[in-house]
Amino acid sequence: MRMADAVRAVVETLPEAVCVSALGTATSALRLVSDDAPHLYFGGAMGCALPGALGLAEARPESQIVAILGDGDLLMGATALWSFAAYRPPNLRVVVLADGYYSITGGQQLAVTLNAASVADALGGIGTGRAESAGELAKALSEIGPPCLIEAVIDERTWPGPSPFVDPMTVRARLASRLFDEDHGMG
Amino acid sequence: MTVWHEDAADVLVEAGVTVAAYVPDKRLSGLLDGLACRNVVMRSLPREEECIAYACGQRIGGGRPVVLMQCSGVGNCLNAYGAFAIPYRIGIPVIMSMRGVLGERNPSQVPMGKAAVRLLETIGVQCISLRRHDQAGEFVRGVLDLAFGAQENAVLVVEPELGGGREDG
Repeated sequence: MRMADAVRAVVETLPEAVCVSALGTATSALRLVSDDAPHLYFGGAMGCALPGALGLAEARPESQIVAILGDGDLLMGATALWSFAAYRPPNLRVVVLADGYYSITGGQQLAVTLNAASVADALGGIGTGRAESAGELAKALSEIGPPCLIEAVIDERTWPGPSPFVDPMTVRARLASRLFDEDHGMG
Repeated sequence: MTVWHEDAADVLVEAGVTVAAYVPDKRLSGLLDGLACRNVVMRSLPREEECIAYACGQRIGGGRPVVLMQCSGVGNCLNAYGAFAIPYRIGIPVIMSMRGVLGERNPSQVPMGKAAVRLLETIGVQCISLRRHDQAGEFVRGVLDLAFGAQENAVLVVEPELGGGREDG
């Protein structure tokens, strides 16, 4: 499956969810398939998307949160997987776009296959799944409730959409407007 | 005389802080215990950048977090500050214990002890030193105002003069 197909499956299966997309292909694909809807798009800080999603999920228990991570991003902040397993917010799903490459930094191959779903399964307390097509991903997201981690196997490596270099203040303001129905809700 | 961490815990709770993300540290153990006793949700996270990113997510969701860490981990979290908290203008209050300065006997702590505050200030994080127990409440309140009011990143630096650290043996 392609990155964009995977992220489209997320958005179409969980239309009310707030997505947290890691820098690179995840943010680009989410921008494309959601038409720049208000989500938390990372424009940097590789390795920080999962702990950011963990904090957001715990602050917003009434919202469904989906962290969309490249496998390179997750590897850079892999300890957060243990934190996810430790605290297991019941409203947090993690989708790992597993193509085996650091795309945003120039397409370097990961030195190791991440096997994120197997690792999460070994940690315990998290539902896990592996999807090889957009249809399988949609099915897994429907059937495996949060907290869960679904590994989406990306076998067609194409850059998915617009630039991932988002304007942080615009991202924050639009998401605050969505979450709090006001101009800013950080107070 | 009230010990610094008791006033700090009271002020944090009075200000509506509900969750503490932390990397363990001996000097901060009194504050960690005090927050837990006051029903603050405690989130032990393995890395300082996780704490900053977690707290940013909390802030975006409307939460009021505090981060506690040791200065030896400042290098770990600079990217989380520089590419997340600061550009998204998310103010995070941090309480950081100092190592590698007055009374330090571990050579491996000294380089970051010398550099931590300068590193933070270089990327625009304000650092306020706490050396007296009776100023803890006032200074914690000030750091919270900077973070939650002005949306600035601010660190209360808990200096060795307050005791409770590894230098005490």
